[in-house]
Amino acid sequence: MNVIEIRNLTKNFGEKQALAGLNMTVPVGSIYGFIGENGSGKSTTEKIICGLIHPTSGQVKLFDRDYKDADVRAEVGVLIESPGCFANLTVWNNLMLQATNLSIKNREDEVRKVLTMVRMEGSAGNKYKNCSLGMKQRIGIAMALLGNPKLLVLDEPINGLDADGMRIMREILTGLSKSGTTVLVSSHILGELEKIATHYGIIRGGKMIVEMTAEQLEKSCPTFVAIQTKDNAKTKAVLSKKYSKVLIDEQDESLRVYDAKTPQEVVEYLYQNNIIVNQLKTDKIGLEEYYINLMSNKEVK
Amino acid sequence: MEKANNLKFDASTFVKRIKGMLSVDFYRLFHTPLFYIFIAIAAIIPAMIIGTTGMQGSETGALFTNVWQAIAVEKPLYVIENIGQYANMNMVFIFGGIMVSIFIGHDYKSGYVKQLFTTHSKKQDYIISKTLVCAFAMACMCLAYLLATILAGLFVGLSFSVNAGSLICALLGKLFMSLGWASLYVFLNIIFRKRFWISIASSFFFGTGILIIGAAAILGNSAILNIFLYGSSVYACLSSNFVSVLVCLVVSVAWSVIYGFLGTYILNKSDVY
Repeated sequence: MNVIEIRNLTKNFGEKQALAGLNMTVPVGSIYGFIGENGSGKSTTEKIICGLIHPTSGQVKLFDRDYKDADVRAEVGVLIESPGCFANLTVWNNLMLQATNLSIKNREDEVRKVLTMVRMEGSAGNKYKNCSLGMKQRIGIAMALLGNPKLLVLDEPINGLDADGMRIMREILTGLSKSGTTVLVSSHILGELEKIATHYGIIRGGKMIVEMTAEQLEKSCPTFVAIQTKDNAKTKAVLSKKYSKVLIDEQDESLRVYDAKTPQEVVEYLYQNNIIVNQLKTDKIGLEEYYINLMSNKEVK
Repeated sequence: MEKANNLKFDASTFVKRIKGMLSVDFYRLFHTPLFYIFIAIAAIIPAMIIGTTGMQGSETGALFTNVWQAIAVEKPLYVIENIGQYANMNMVFIFGGIMVSIFIGHDYKSGYVKQLFTTHSKKQDYIISKTLVCAFAMACMCLAYLLATILAGLFVGLSFSVNAGSLICALLGKLFMSLGWASLYVFLNIIFRKRFWISIASSFFFGTGILIIGAAAILGNSAILNIFLYGSSVYACLSSNFVSVLVCLVVSVAWSVIYGFLGTYILNKSDVY
């Protein structure tokens, strides 16, 4: 069963088309990493899923039911941009208000539980306006977790979080996923997303260009041998005689050999050609590089 | 994966939703300074008017000879002959409009509506809850105005003679009108929800009853104007009877239903945030 199913979704803001026939499938229990450039349509999609804006056309289903169904909506926890809190009220009171609004029975226990989950139990008495950006993000997560939702929609939840905050967020989301909650999370911090996501969707120009599982991404990301020598340009010329795919990494200017069978094979070949290897390691391209290559239409595989 | 496979949804009933929303709105009303500031404003208005114009030897002359003139006009005069006929409890509804604008504006400024409409809340619940809470707040302002009028009248020494039955009918009529006025302001603030200052200006504009006063200038003192909010507010006067109360109640409920439907329609058809 799919928690979110979107078919041919379009959204126009005046003459500007934000979504151009988007299709999206989020399986139950997954952590779905929703990736795209700024203005690609991520937030628009999430706002439609959350019922904040209306689609121009297309179909959106949550749990096989219409996304506007109030019963279904009660099972969706949301953090879009920033949490909707009253600045002059305390963290506790803001959460209590949301719990009241959700008609949660044991409100105090529930608020205490979500505050503990986001490690904010010591800050419950702070006024919202006095909280740091990272704390506000965690409050937003806590608010989204109220009522034990079956689907969480999180827009850039790790923005503004410190290293510890990111770790806590990882633990929360993976824990929720294990207990069966489905999480749709968008983020530009792909390194973090890669650590938790089980599925990915990459959006560009209002269209989904790739949907895949973490396993499929793993297979799509080739391994390579990275080497550093005294003269990388000369080394590249030598390696290119034997290997068809030798590239120079733009960041650290190391050489990458994609079609070597083993690292030893490369070292031996260079030794035979009187080139001494200073550094050598095997590595794999990650989500970030996969995404950058995809966006710049470079060959990935 | 127990929860994932157990996809049963609790029924989200209207009573459950509205109860939650009303609780939140009343909590906000009582726990933010806004409500108390406007209660104070409602109390200051008659105190200022009676205090500055009612005293013996006042340079501006006595605006009122009887304290209850500060509550309502003696006869339903839609075309005002002097400023004294305007300076009564109807002014509460003008300031009430500003209060509603700030109350609803804060929902949007804080992003609370985003939190609200992403859950089980429906647009109609929002309109109903806001209308009821704001009507309650305006009724409280009316009572504060009444209390301050009595105290100021005692202080200045104005006459308190009145037909008690008519006074009670006038007061009930104005209290009922709080609902109609609140629904108008909620509706205006739904239209201008993303433009805070325009919503305040529109509330003030409609609250002063400028349109109906303009119509009255053409139609004269016609009872047909009672079908409008301002007309009914004027109709709740010191010569009121049971029929006046009934008219105020019916008009107020009718307009709140109309504005409620229109407001819900607009919210349903437009992007919320």
